[in-house]
Amino acid sequence: MKIIIVGAGEVGYNIASRLASENKRVVVIDKDIDAIQRLSENLDVQVIMASGSSPKVLIDAGINETDILLAVTDSDETNLVTCLMANMISPTTKKLARIRNQDFDSYYDRFKKENPHIDTIINPEIEVVNTIRKLMVVPGAVDVGDFADGQVKYIGLRIDRHSPMAGMKLIDFSSKFGEDRPLIAAIIRNNEVIVPRGSNKIEPGDLIYFVSETEKLEKMLMLFGKKIIPIQRALIIGGGRIGERLANLLEADSIKTKIIEADIARCHYLSEKMEKTIILHGDGSDQKLFLEENVGQSDVVVCVTNVDETNILVSLLAKNLGIENTITRISKSNYFPLLATIGIEKVVSPRLSAVSSILKEVRKGKVLSDISILGERGEFIEAIALETSDITDRPLRKISFPKGAILVCILRDGHIMIPAGNSVVKPNDRIIMFAVKHAVKKLEKLLTVKLDFF
Amino acid sequence: MRWRFIARIIGILLIFLGLSMIAPLLVSFYYKDLAHNNFLRSMGITMVTGLILIIGSKKRGSDDYINKKEGMATVALAWIGIGLFGALPFYFGPEFINFTDAFFESVSGFTTTGSSVMTNIEGATKSIVFWRSFIQWLGGMGIIVLSLAILPFLGVGGIQLYKAEVPSPVPDKLTPRLTDSAKILWAVYAVFTLVEIIFLLGGGMPLFEASCHAFTTMPTGGFSPKNASIAHYNSAYFDYVIVVFMILAGINFSLHYQMLRGKTLAFWKDTECKFFLGLALLLTLLVTWDIYGSVYTSIKDSFRFASFQVISILTTTGFATADYETFPGLSQALLFVCMFIGASAGSTGGGMKCARIIVCFKYCYRELFKIIHPRSINHVKINNIVIPNEILRSVMGFLALYISLFILAGILLASMGIDMMTAFGAIAACIGNIGPGFGSVGPTENFSHMPVMGKWLLAWCMLLGRLEIYTVIILFVPEFWKK
Repeated sequence: MKIIIVGAGEVGYNIASRLASENKRVVVIDKDIDAIQRLSENLDVQVIMASGSSPKVLIDAGINETDILLAVTDSDETNLVTCLMANMISPTTKKLARIRNQDFDSYYDRFKKENPHIDTIINPEIEVVNTIRKLMVVPGAVDVGDFADGQVKYIGLRIDRHSPMAGMKLIDFSSKFGEDRPLIAAIIRNNEVIVPRGSNKIEPGDLIYFVSETEKLEKMLMLFGKKIIPIQRALIIGGGRIGERLANLLEADSIKTKIIEADIARCHYLSEKMEKTIILHGDGSDQKLFLEENVGQSDVVVCVTNVDETNILVSLLAKNLGIENTITRISKSNYFPLLATIGIEKVVSPRLSAVSSILKEVRKGKVLSDISILGERGEFIEAIALETSDITDRPLRKISFPKGAILVCILRDGHIMIPAGNSVVKPNDRIIMFAVKHAVKKLEKLLTVKLDFF
Repeated sequence: MRWRFIARIIGILLIFLGLSMIAPLLVSFYYKDLAHNNFLRSMGITMVTGLILIIGSKKRGSDDYINKKEGMATVALAWIGIGLFGALPFYFGPEFINFTDAFFESVSGFTTTGSSVMTNIEGATKSIVFWRSFIQWLGGMGIIVLSLAILPFLGVGGIQLYKAEVPSPVPDKLTPRLTDSAKILWAVYAVFTLVEIIFLLGGGMPLFEASCHAFTTMPTGGFSPKNASIAHYNSAYFDYVIVVFMILAGINFSLHYQMLRGKTLAFWKDTECKFFLGLALLLTLLVTWDIYGSVYTSIKDSFRFASFQVISILTTTGFATADYETFPGLSQALLFVCMFIGASAGSTGGGMKCARIIVCFKYCYRELFKIIHPRSINHVKINNIVIPNEILRSVMGFLALYISLFILAGILLASMGIDMMTAFGAIAACIGNIGPGFGSVGPTENFSHMPVMGKWLLAWCMLLGRLEIYTVIILFVPEFWKK
């Protein structure tokens, strides 16, 4: 199994690191000497310092015997040309490209069917923007994501003192809520991930992850004492690609949106593109601007500049002005453990999201999705139960689940089923599991689903 | 300034003008109105002058590049020349007593203004009546545009001439090649004219009158072969046919082209077009409401006369079916405002143009918005396209010049002993290329009683309006003449 990665930025680095640790032969191509050096010092991969879109470089890198090409540079054009050249030289190589410019959105299908036959196009920004949009409306929600093409959602939620759940044991859920009881996948308390058993109690201040059918989500949130809040005014700090996409989305939902962007040229660009969104030129951390623009009146503040520190600072500033609902973009995963302690809860990470969607596409077989939460400390795994695996055709109580892993729910014929001791997983059911990091390997073994590749 | 070059282009245009006199000549022969000698003499003088200019300015080298300055001077001088030589047939005819009157009528024709000094049009020779209409038709889409369409002689410099003759606040070139664009514009223009002739014939108008009216509707000119203009026929059918074609003439011709190519939604997607049509409808309804009961007893008549006057003035055509000076104050005020707004950019109409009004309002809104959000960055957009700052400046400058020149010329005219209403009404009508004004130059009167100096001033205003201020006014800026 040989993989070429063009582009050694954050995304390229992280994928290379994951794949290398799984003993794949990885070649990374990048023009930037610093990026290449960081890679060759830390990872067991081959590096080439050159332009990945050059056919000569691709041949030298061994494109002809390569199974997968990942084009993940920062430039859409480079990624497209790289795939185009790869397609000419070695049509059998699977190609995956990161394309971010919105103008390409409607051409994804044609990129697939026509030249350069890109098998998968990854645009983490679309995903992140959708996540932000969902996070906006659920107060206290820390994380939101989809399974089964959006039929099922997982939500991370902070439990406060007023929640009817606070103080309850999980075992009491069925008597209190009946059939529609929430499916708790994980409890995070004092930065520790607990995979819940019946005897576990929910306490105020806990962060819980639960799973729900999308249709029943609103009802489920009511159980937690949360309501979907309508957003009327939004403030976006940072008018980069994510900010732009989000503003477009909000504009379409006729939400009054303002963008604060520090780069004047970018401001002009945005102002040319946007219809109703108000573009403000200034630093996101400029308090005077905040007062001038009555930021305290906003329903939500979304900080999506390229700088983590600015995002964190502005979020805190907004909270200081009385806006509880802030969403913060974070790229560095080592910040994650700190954030909860300073009160920043709603966090999105396009990098993580890119890495996990690329890995999902790269992984072969029956694992449908593999979503890291809380900066990779736990993983949701959505898989198809194989006939050959130990998990099928036996009541669950007879299966020894690894410690730190839990079967969250079973999806059969589009319906969500709550697993109990005597439930049986049938072949071809979709199952959603949660595991803390160290339990993932054991879980894979149980499923006999190797996290294999094309 | 390369005078040889400019002289050569004007020479060619004069030859062209001379050739166009063949049309009234044929009319003259057909009706045997004995005016053919006048046209032959005019043709002779015009073409000989043209030839002298061409021969006298024999091209040296291959400098067919014109800069913007030269382009503007060429166009302004060419229009003055065309006005002068186009006046010859009038001057030689028995209807005009002096050259001032002939020049006034000629410039009013070419600039599609439609103000007249003729008191008895029905008594004039057919060929002269035809020439009046025909020069409006030539001037409507632009003589230089026409020559670009049929003569490839202007070469690279053509674009400068084109821009000077058809200044547009929002630049749009229909095709990559200027000659092709010019051909398209003239083709659309000619087709609409033909269709209008057919509609008018269908209503029973004689061919001669139908052609004359179509020749002056499409360029939004307003000359009529009848003393009482369209009111002569007192027919709702003719009124509405002409209303429809006036509206068509007042819409940007590139939209017509897009529609003819199958993009039927082009009208509804264009901000300016929507603004123009909406404004026409709103003003029609307001005037209908205002004159219903006070002037007309039926709502049907009120709407018919209101729509005709509003659209005639808004598109700057200047036909009349009613004396709007008998309308109540509100209607008169609205019609006066119409004179300034004018039709769409890229149409044959005059006035300030809807596009500039929209840009102006959006610009003002942006300034107010800036006060509320001092650090906001925003652009003025039309059809979702950003209007660059240079164009914004040029539009605001245009509006300021338009108003100041209106005031200045109005005061000058009033100083010649003309009452205020008439003076400002006449200037508004001439600078906006409309035709009838207010006071003693209203729709039932004409301009024959204006003093000689007043007529030259008004003719100058017509040229200013037709070439959209800058092209003409630049000749009066001392800096322009410095080497």
